[in-house]
Amino acid sequence: MSTLAVAEPEVVAGPSKTGLHRRLVLRGLAIAVVAAVAGLAVPYVVPDRYTMGLLLDGVILALLALGIGFLARHLGLISLGHTAFFGGAAYALAIATQQWGWGPLPAALFGLAVGTGLAVLMGLLVVRASGMGFLMLTLALGQALYQFCVQTVARPWTGAYDGLQVHVEPGQAVFGMPMDDVMNAALFWPVVWIALVAAAVVLWLLGRARFGIVLEGIRENEERMRFSGFGTFRPRLAAFVVSGAVAALGGVLFALNAAYVSPDVLGFLKAGDSLIAAIVGGLGSLAGPVVGALAYVWAQAEFNSSGNLQLYTGVALVVVLVFLPGGITGVFGKLRRRFWRRGGK
Amino acid sequence: MNFAQLLNGIAFGSLLMILSSGLAMIYGLRGVTNFSHGALYMAGAYLAYSVSANFSFWLALVVAPAVLAVLGAVLELVFFRRLQHRSHIEVGLVTFGVAMVLERVIVLIWGERTLAVAPPAGLGGTTSVFGVDYPSYRLLIIGFAVVLAVGLTWWLRASRLGLHIRAASRDGQTAQILGINADRVSLVVVCLGAALAGLAGALAAPYVSVDPGMGVAILINVLIVVVIGGAGSIAGAMTAGMALGVVQTLGAVWLPSVAVLVPYAALVAVLLWRPAGLFGRQA
Repeated sequence: MSTLAVAEPEVVAGPSKTGLHRRLVLRGLAIAVVAAVAGLAVPYVVPDRYTMGLLLDGVILALLALGIGFLARHLGLISLGHTAFFGGAAYALAIATQQWGWGPLPAALFGLAVGTGLAVLMGLLVVRASGMGFLMLTLALGQALYQFCVQTVARPWTGAYDGLQVHVEPGQAVFGMPMDDVMNAALFWPVVWIALVAAAVVLWLLGRARFGIVLEGIRENEERMRFSGFGTFRPRLAAFVVSGAVAALGGVLFALNAAYVSPDVLGFLKAGDSLIAAIVGGLGSLAGPVVGALAYVWAQAEFNSSGNLQLYTGVALVVVLVFLPGGITGVFGKLRRRFWRRGGK
Repeated sequence: MNFAQLLNGIAFGSLLMILSSGLAMIYGLRGVTNFSHGALYMAGAYLAYSVSANFSFWLALVVAPAVLAVLGAVLELVFFRRLQHRSHIEVGLVTFGVAMVLERVIVLIWGERTLAVAPPAGLGGTTSVFGVDYPSYRLLIIGFAVVLAVGLTWWLRASRLGLHIRAASRDGQTAQILGINADRVSLVVVCLGAALAGLAGALAAPYVSVDPGMGVAILINVLIVVVIGGAGSIAGAMTAGMALGVVQTLGAVWLPSVAVLVPYAALVAVLLWRPAGLFGRQA
């Protein structure tokens, strides 16, 4: 029946919304500014440290999910390897601070560069594949990095299963904050929130621009795009690297906030978590993965005490895929459209 | 002793072979990558633990596949058949969720601790193979895999149902036009694939440790085997399973630090060279 080389039609892809004009861009930027400013109020509204920590974890997971969602929405590719960029960036930051004595800011930039570099390398190998082949290749390469990091050979650099401390000399600051403040969710929140909004804006603009139109063409019918004279390899690679860079940004912020990196950030389970968060939230829209990640972190905290988190997550994944293919945001979108239609009549 | 290590590789390869042929059958017919295959294997091992503790291990080799065949029927009827118009990736991700649920249910029933299953009476010792004393039970696994491989291949080649399965795997629509009942064929195949996973789990129970992580651990290996072998090719899955089992086991002895990377490297290399896998039909 179907073999790996055959592109499979994707239902996960959203409705086509492309094309940039000035009014649209201004409206989008206005929404982004409002979102950024409104988000800054969160630490004042949320009183307790615990909830604040959860929200911060949610936003960091959202960056990873956002990257995965971008690839799924525009190219119909589902990646299980984005933890390589998330975790790779986190590890690079930790190694730079702990073993080379770098300051936190250069180390963060280094982490971002390493994560993005890994995305280029993996992208070169995988972007030609599609469907299940793509899923398997990204899974395999992500796992390969994980396995490498926990090996005894890698212990001097990665600490193997013990993980790695992010070590910063007292007095060194990042984003104008000493390290203790970076580890405080309420104080670090503005940095992470603005990073999320900025990443969302960049992805939105790219998706709406000519680049996004080309990607959509490739998603719908790659052969036709090639016959129409478009090189399809470079746009695919570029999309992969962009989505990997967003994941790497999440990894850098994670490592700064946690001040500790363990192999978990590279593992299969983390890849599964972020993919499930993106699917449950909805791959059809930009907000979907963010909503999904926040819901996921909340659910994790709520259900973890009973030990049945995995059970509920599995049920949620099955129910969403079977009954609500658009995810949580898909349901809202459908309700909104229904409401508008009724209102219009 | 190197010969014993080679036999160890063949024993592990035998397990991968049984598991991969089941997964490849389901993939070939339904186009679905069944991420719950590892959980089905795990269920087989836990069932073997309970049945062999209360009755006999030999009974477990019957009960585990039978129960898993029923689970396979549920998978087919509840998910695969209802979702066949959806993209294969989505259905694959549904089985990802099924795996999470199934693994948790198993832990709720049997608990988190690692369980040990004793080999059946008379097979706890060693047998001399070409002058090497080797655990008898592992020879049983190898024997089982050989019988299964031959039997399955023969059944697919010689029986009417086997013909229908091969036809439906190659081109479901044409097969249906020619009067093959595709629903019945895929029910048989998914049940059989799940039963093979259960059998592999039961066979593995005295050989590996039975613990909650065993499903995920083997799943990645099996997925790699099926993709390397060529999606849907049962012969490819068997060959690749045996090869990977041997290479991985020998590699763990000779180059322990590199061995874990071997499957991933093999997967990437094969897919770059032949995107449809070794035995896959090139699209």
